[in-house]
Amino acid sequence: MEHALIVMVMSGVEDGSLLKFRPDKTGELHEEQWSLNIGRRDENDVCLRNDTFVSRQHARLHWRDERWWLEDCDSTNGTFLENMDDFFLDRRVKGIVPLDEGQLFRVGRTWLRIQPNE
Amino acid sequence: MSDAMSNIPLKDLLISARQEAHRMRHFFLGVEHLFIALLEIKGGLTASILADEGFTPEYVIDAIRRKAGKGSRHRLWAGIPNSPRTEVVLAIAYEIALEHGRQSIYERDLLVAVLEENDSIPVRVLASLGMDMEKFRHQARTRTVKRSATGTFVKVDLATYDGELGKDQLFILRRMFHGYAEVRVEQRLTGGYTPALLLVVTPIHVDRREDASVVVKIGQTDSILDEAQRYDRYVKNTLPPLTARLEERPTAPDTSDLAGIKYTFITDSDGHPQDMRVAARSWTGMQLGEWLHSRLYHYFGDAWWKQNRPYKFDVWQEYDWVLPPVLTLEISREEKAPEDAQVLHFPIRRQRLEALEYGDNVVVENFIVQKVDREKRAIWLALGHGGTANTNLTRAYQIEVRDIDFDHDTYYRGEIVERLIGRVWKTRNEQLVGAVRALEPDFEFNGEKIIFNNTRLMNPLLHYTSLLDEMIDASLCTIHGDLHLGNILIGPNNSALLIDFARTRDGHTLFDWATLEVSLLVNFILPAFGESWDNARQVVEILVGINRGDTRLNITAEIAELFQAIRALRQIISDCLANSGHLEEYFIALAFCALRAVTWDTMSVGGRRLMFLVSALAMHDYKYYQQPEFVSGLTPTPDATEFFNSRTNEGF
Repeated sequence: MEHALIVMVMSGVEDGSLLKFRPDKTGELHEEQWSLNIGRRDENDVCLRNDTFVSRQHARLHWRDERWWLEDCDSTNGTFLENMDDFFLDRRVKGIVPLDEGQLFRVGRTWLRIQPNE
Repeated sequence: MSDAMSNIPLKDLLISARQEAHRMRHFFLGVEHLFIALLEIKGGLTASILADEGFTPEYVIDAIRRKAGKGSRHRLWAGIPNSPRTEVVLAIAYEIALEHGRQSIYERDLLVAVLEENDSIPVRVLASLGMDMEKFRHQARTRTVKRSATGTFVKVDLATYDGELGKDQLFILRRMFHGYAEVRVEQRLTGGYTPALLLVVTPIHVDRREDASVVVKIGQTDSILDEAQRYDRYVKNTLPPLTARLEERPTAPDTSDLAGIKYTFITDSDGHPQDMRVAARSWTGMQLGEWLHSRLYHYFGDAWWKQNRPYKFDVWQEYDWVLPPVLTLEISREEKAPEDAQVLHFPIRRQRLEALEYGDNVVVENFIVQKVDREKRAIWLALGHGGTANTNLTRAYQIEVRDIDFDHDTYYRGEIVERLIGRVWKTRNEQLVGAVRALEPDFEFNGEKIIFNNTRLMNPLLHYTSLLDEMIDASLCTIHGDLHLGNILIGPNNSALLIDFARTRDGHTLFDWATLEVSLLVNFILPAFGESWDNARQVVEILVGINRGDTRLNITAEIAELFQAIRALRQIISDCLANSGHLEEYFIALAFCALRAVTWDTMSVGGRRLMFLVSALAMHDYKYYQQPEFVSGLTPTPDATEFFNSRTNEGF
């Protein structure tokens, strides 16, 4: 993992803001595997302090085998993927699922997206 | 450019955008709030472009609210800041205003800016609803909006139609056939149990050339738009080549509560379709049965009922919603729930629910809003279970909440209501008992059994709740969802055409056939008997014989002939069973579909009487097939012992 991770907030009070992370500065990096925590508390790598539906430690992003993975950490209100079959019925994440760049996912009430890397 | 309709200034738009943010407890100003403000301008640029594509502002606003979700009561920051995306959109809008030599932003500038930014919630929602965004952008830049849409007046010819059309219905009909000189209303189809209007209409060009007839459905905007969406999702790609299709978007002008859709017929010759409820009157039971088997079941089956995907479900998941709401509540304005309040949330414990009575305090948690009725000041909730893939689950345990103050609280379809406090006004049991009492039963209807002519059946009123907890081995497929004779049309060359996809979904395969049996019994068979309880009992006794496989029924040839339709239906059903011969899967479906019909005041009294007894018989048969000796194969021929023990041999 050499390039940075750029996450765009897609809803809420921070809608439109870009969050940038570098493997050497944020999260845990072991060999080719990089993990970042998402949650409401400040110690999270991706901190969503403005969403009361986000758990203190809510979800994790993993870079592994050359792709992104999304894990739900038994959060109260769930982690979801946008559902292309039914736009209004989001797909709940159980365990770890693959996540594509550009695909929208929701943590609590906040929609996020990993920006495609050019 | 002097453009009367797009000169609403930004400051006015911001006022309504902030109100929207406040209603949604968002405490920030997002692009979704700006867009909703644009939609709320009556006859404005945004609303009129969307109207042309068949979207009302209300529908789009609901969809945006649903996607964005309501915020919590806790404020985490001061003031109402703009989101970063709002800043971007406003900057683009300002640029556009400058290009036109203005210092201030107007309606059109803002709309064009939202569409240029192209990544916000409203833009994604519109794209998901099927809006052509490229066309939208073009229209936003170039369209000049006129006060009233004028066009050539479409004449409506009612000469061959023996009914009347309301002003609103005529308005929709004219809008749907904009560009034609005239439409001739051929007939009204005896619709289903929906209040929607179904007409067969022939459009006529200015040069008097006639197009093929189409079926027009005019109804409440919400349900019409919903039907169009379900058609896109479930039906469009599964229809056989020759049948009815929805080719265009619905017509849903923002000045009316009504909307319309057109079913066109892709058939190999001309002719007016007729609905089966009318057509079957001149058919024999054998003809009808054969037609249903070959033209309906086999022709549509491959993409629908023959999918046969294994599906094990709890009865309540598929059938709870067909019954009246489990509770009708009166909303309470208190912030805090009384201490004795019962809390309802997933998973529901039915015993708790059943113990509730008039006046009890209830707290409902995490239910989903199914329907909002501003006129009745009511909302309908159903059990929600965050993000479940099973959409049927979300429709179980419906609760009606009355006395909602819409000026104070916003509710939108699909919203998750985290907490709501109310008092019980009516229970489901009360509603069902009331429905039966209205039929003036001439027998004891509160007892364990329904007894007549020495016949004893299970009392549906006492047994339906325990049946809801049974688990069924079944199959899943795309089902029509409302397969009664009025929704099956007969087209040219005896072809079957299905209409009304408002309830189409993935569900229990046998649901459609149970619905059709209800319709066959009430519309095709009962008229030969009559409306009394005695007539209902006569029909049920013949059904008992059929269920038992009795070939020597003591009935006239004409009556036996009518029941050929039911026998044919049972053939289809045995084809569709998950486990061959295990008819309990069917009888559970029939028990609930028939019990539901008891509460329909659009059905004749005689029909509802019959349905009560059919439900009782279906429950009885369900229990029979459940018995271990049947499962182990010791009693291959169904024989409802208790039922027949003392049955008289008198004919009728």
